Amino acid sequence: MGIDNKRRRVVDLFIEFRALDVFIIFILLFLTFLLLSPGHRFISKDNLDVFFSIGSEFTIVPIVIGMLMIAGEFDLSVGSNLVFCSFIFFKLIDVGVNVWLSSFLTILVGTFVGFSNGFITVKAKIPSFITILGTMMLWRGVTLFWSQGLQKALELQGHDFFVKIFTGQIAKFLPVQFLWFIIIALLIGFIVHFHRFGNWLYTTGDNKQAARAMGINTDMVKVITFSIVGAVVAFVAIMQIVRVGTFTSRAGDGWELNAIAAAVVGGTALSGGIGSIFGVFWGALIISIIQNGLVVLRIPYYWTFTIFGVILISSAIISLYLDKKRLSVGAAEAGN
Amino acid sequence: MAEYIVQMVDIHKWFGKVYALRGVDFNVGFNEIVGLVGDNGAGKSTLIKILSGYHIADRGEIYFNGEKVNIQTPKDAKKLGIETVYQEQALAPHVSISRNVFMGREPSKFLGFIDKKKMDNDSLNVLTDLGLKIKDPNLVVETLSGGQRQGVAIARVLYFKAKLVILDEPTIALSVKESQQVMEFMKQLRSEGISVIFITHNIYHAFQISDRFVILSHGEKLADVRKEETSLDELISLITSGKSKSEV
Repeated sequence: MGIDNKRRRVVDLFIEFRALDVFIIFILLFLTFLLLSPGHRFISKDNLDVFFSIGSEFTIVPIVIGMLMIAGEFDLSVGSNLVFCSFIFFKLIDVGVNVWLSSFLTILVGTFVGFSNGFITVKAKIPSFITILGTMMLWRGVTLFWSQGLQKALELQGHDFFVKIFTGQIAKFLPVQFLWFIIIALLIGFIVHFHRFGNWLYTTGDNKQAARAMGINTDMVKVITFSIVGAVVAFVAIMQIVRVGTFTSRAGDGWELNAIAAAVVGGTALSGGIGSIFGVFWGALIISIIQNGLVVLRIPYYWTFTIFGVILISSAIISLYLDKKRLSVGAAEAGN
Repeated sequence: MAEYIVQMVDIHKWFGKVYALRGVDFNVGFNEIVGLVGDNGAGKSTLIKILSGYHIADRGEIYFNGEKVNIQTPKDAKKLGIETVYQEQALAPHVSISRNVFMGREPSKFLGFIDKKKMDNDSLNVLTDLGLKIKDPNLVVETLSGGQRQGVAIARVLYFKAKLVILDEPTIALSVKESQQVMEFMKQLRSEGISVIFITHNIYHAFQISDRFVILSHGEKLADVRKEETSLDELISLITSGKSKSEV
């Protein structure tokens, strides 16, 4: 009995280590930037504002990307989907469509893009990596073509409430974008960890054959998840363009890899079947805080690539090391 | 009451030009462990895949509990209570034991949210029933030994009221001790009123645990003998010679 309890504690610790570990890293980074920034600029109201508002636009994306990776798939077209939805929303408002209807339609479009990614991936049986590279170029290309020379501002006069939903402040200090991040993370987290569908996600990503043998429609699971990614990306696109006030064709550029990086840093395995939304939550905040911190410390932009690269590789190595440790602990004790 | 739980009559199967099964009759009685043996290419896998719905026979009939049935998909077979346990392929290694047992059939109290208490309790119970000494259903399957993993896969079919369990090479890649453990599981299944088809290359394992042996060779049935009517040596010579019992 004593040995079993010890085994359970050790194994659990290792498995949860990833998520706890990520949280600790976040705190360390926060403190580092706090101390290193001249005049503690890092925690100035202005900077925190930026971190919680603009930062949250980004951090929402890894939450659903992580969900998709648990199911064993990638979506590299999120940036392109973002700019495409951004453009759709802009155009709809521009031609006078009601803001709420525009939002609804934009999210529908985003969901459709996600759905098509999923559908092509599961039906054509092309590895999602390739499919997505293709769609990534398709949607951004279409957007660039359609939006040539677009210079107008987004007209949202008289829609203060609508604008407030996406860009207001809670209790006069916390940007509402962060609240959206928390809400989405909780929602996705509940589904992934406590719902049947979540178990289907893990088993599909961990051992697709076994899941199919048990009657789980792995294709449907993947397509639904891809669609959720699309819908959330569209939501973020709206949130972003309402804040910025004008269309920019560079929106979402580079988000796809950062989102995957955030998920990996948060303990999600590239091979699927492993990860937690709790971990991805902190992983996303880590990527966001680094982006923010580097600017506050006035570190040249080109350094960010190097730094992200180092973080990504170290996370992957640590992750592999922990996996090996976990396996040997289990075997050593199970052999009794 | 039917004589057999499963009766496969005159089964033929072609894969392109390959004549995999040439008119095989195969029965499984109630509370019986049937050892399905034969060398590679004999047709054992094909036969049970037809029974479990992965293939459809080109000719022949299947009766379950005395009634003619039409098994077109794995779901049809499962509905009848025919479950197959493959090796590692059955479980998700990084997922917990209880989530594995209830894979695809997770219990829920409310809107699809998993009833974790029930899931953990029920999986623990069925594991104990089978004789597996696992105390924590939240352990990840990866931490278990080969024999224990096989046990979890078997516990799963036990819980979901299988009537006939097909074990395809369950002792391959297992240690001696683990193989014995798996064979104990098979005895447990039989004592619960579940019939077992045990496919194996290992004639010694087959002889140890089966009530009856069916030997296939090149798509045909060579022999169908009860354990009492034969010996280990006779079985070995039947398999290696490839001749039917009457010819030997």
